[in-house]
Amino acid sequence: MNAETERTIRDVVKSLGLWHIWIRLGLQDVRLKFRRSAVGVAWIFVNLAVLVSSIGFIYANLLGQDTREFIPYLTIGMILWSYLTSSIVEGGNAFVHSEGYIRQISLPIYVYVLRYFVSISATALISMLAYVAVAIIYGVALGAGTLYAIPGLVMVMAASLLFITIFAHLNARFRDIAHLASVGMQVLFYVTPVIFPARLLRQRADLAYVVDYNPMYHLIEVVRRPLLTNGPAEFQSYVATGIVLIVLTIAASVVIGMNQRRIVYAL
Amino acid sequence: MAQILLDHVDLEFHVGAERHTTLQSAVRRGLGRHRVETRTVKALQDLNLSIRSGERVGLIGHNGAGKSTLLKVMAGIYPPQRGTVVTDGHVCPLFEFITGFEMEATGWENIRTRALLLGMAPKEIERKIESIGAFSNLGEFLDIPLRHYSSGMCVRLAFATSTAVDPQILLLDEVMAAGDAAFQETARLRMNELMERASIVVFATHSLDLLPRFCERTLLLRKGRIVADGPTNEVVDLYNHGAVTAPGAEATTES
Repeated sequence: MNAETERTIRDVVKSLGLWHIWIRLGLQDVRLKFRRSAVGVAWIFVNLAVLVSSIGFIYANLLGQDTREFIPYLTIGMILWSYLTSSIVEGGNAFVHSEGYIRQISLPIYVYVLRYFVSISATALISMLAYVAVAIIYGVALGAGTLYAIPGLVMVMAASLLFITIFAHLNARFRDIAHLASVGMQVLFYVTPVIFPARLLRQRADLAYVVDYNPMYHLIEVVRRPLLTNGPAEFQSYVATGIVLIVLTIAASVVIGMNQRRIVYAL
Repeated sequence: MAQILLDHVDLEFHVGAERHTTLQSAVRRGLGRHRVETRTVKALQDLNLSIRSGERVGLIGHNGAGKSTLLKVMAGIYPPQRGTVVTDGHVCPLFEFITGFEMEATGWENIRTRALLLGMAPKEIERKIESIGAFSNLGEFLDIPLRHYSSGMCVRLAFATSTAVDPQILLLDEVMAAGDAAFQETARLRMNELMERASIVVFATHSLDLLPRFCERTLLLRKGRIVADGPTNEVVDLYNHGAVTAPGAEATTES
C-alpha cells in the first residue's frame, strides 16, 4: 500500500474521529434549512402531507387501490425516495458548498461528507415521524415482524453515505453531474414502484424486469415491506441491496482513490 | 516539539479557461470536437525547508511568487504533486476571511462553527465564546444572521474567532489588513498575543517595516523557489535592492 493510500485511509479515520464536528454541523444545517420558512422544520411534514394527499387519493382511484393500503405505502415510499435522491443530488454538493472551508482550513475533506450525511439522514428520520402518524391513522398492523425494517434502514443509510461520498467527489470535478443525476432520478421515479404498487408491473411478464432489476426498488423495499406487512422483505430484495452496497463501496473507494486529497484543486 | 519540514516539494496548478468543469465538455473532448488549452503553472519548485520550534519566519516576495501557496502547503490544504511535507503540531491557518461563513446562521453560531472547524474543543469554545464575541465588537449583531452583515463585519467575526485558537503552528497570510482603523489597533495587539502563544509563526507579508519586529528569519520567494533564507534584515535588504526584480520589469542597478 503506497504512501498516498495510507494518508487517505488515515484521513478517513481521522474524519470519523471528529464526530463532534460533523454531527453538530449536520444538525445545524437541518435547523438552518428551515429557519426562513414560515413553519420551520414542520415544513417537512407539510410538504409530505400535500404530496401524499394529492397523489394518494387520485392515484388510488386511478389504479384501483384501496386507500387504506395505498396511502401508507405511498408515504413511506416517498420518504425513502426523497432520502435517496437527496443523498445523490444534495450530497453531490457537499464539497462544492464547503469550498470556503476546504480552502482555508486544513480538515480532512471527509468531514464534510459526514456533515451532509448527518443533515440528509436527520431530515429523512424526521420525515419518518410523518409515516408513524399515517400508520396510526390508517391502522397499519405492527408486530415483531416490523422490526425487520431496522436492518433495512441501516442498509439504506449505508447506501446514503456511499452515494454522498461518490457524488460529492464526482460533482466537485464535473459540476454538471449533480444535475444529470437529478434528471436521472426523475426518470427512475416514473418506473420505480413508489406511486404505484409493484404488482401492477409484475403482472405484465414482459415488464417485470423493470421492478426486479431496479436497485432503487430494492433499497426502498427492505424498509417499506417490513413496515407495511409486519414481516421481512422479499429475499431477492436483501440480495439486491447487498449487491448494490458492494458496488457502491467499490465505486466510493475508486472515486476516493482517484481524487486522493486533490479535491481542493477542483474547487 | 513543533516543526515544519518540506522536502523537494513541487506544486503545480493546471489552469486554463478551457479546463473542463462539466462532464458534457469532457465527453465532447473525448469525441475530438473540443480543443483544450490547459497550462501548467509551477507554483512551487523543488522547495526544501525546515522550521523548528521557537522560530518566527517571515515570507516575502512579489505577487505571484508563491507565498500564499507555500502557506497552504504547510497547512495541508494543498497536497504537493511531489515531495513530502511534515508538520508536527496543531496548525492554525489565518488566511482570507472572505469565505467560510454560514449566511443563514447567527454571529454566535458562526463563531461556534468556525471554532469547531479550526480544531477547538467544544468545552474550550464555550469558555471562550463570550470573549470572542466581545472582541469582535459586533454587539447585538451577533444575534442575527450573517446575511445582514457587511463584509467588514464578517471579517471581524472571522478574525476574532480565528485568533482565539491556541496554535502550535501559526500561518499568517497578510491578515493584518482586516477591518477599519480602530479595529486595526486592537487587532494588532491580539495578533501579538496570538503570535506569542505559538511555537512557530510563518508570516507572509508585503509590509517590510513590520517584519523585523516579528520575525528573526525571513524567506524570499521568487517564482516558486526560495532564493534567500536568513536573518530578516539581510533578506529584506536583498529584496529592496532589486536583486530580485518583479517579473517583466527591468533590473534596477540602484535601490
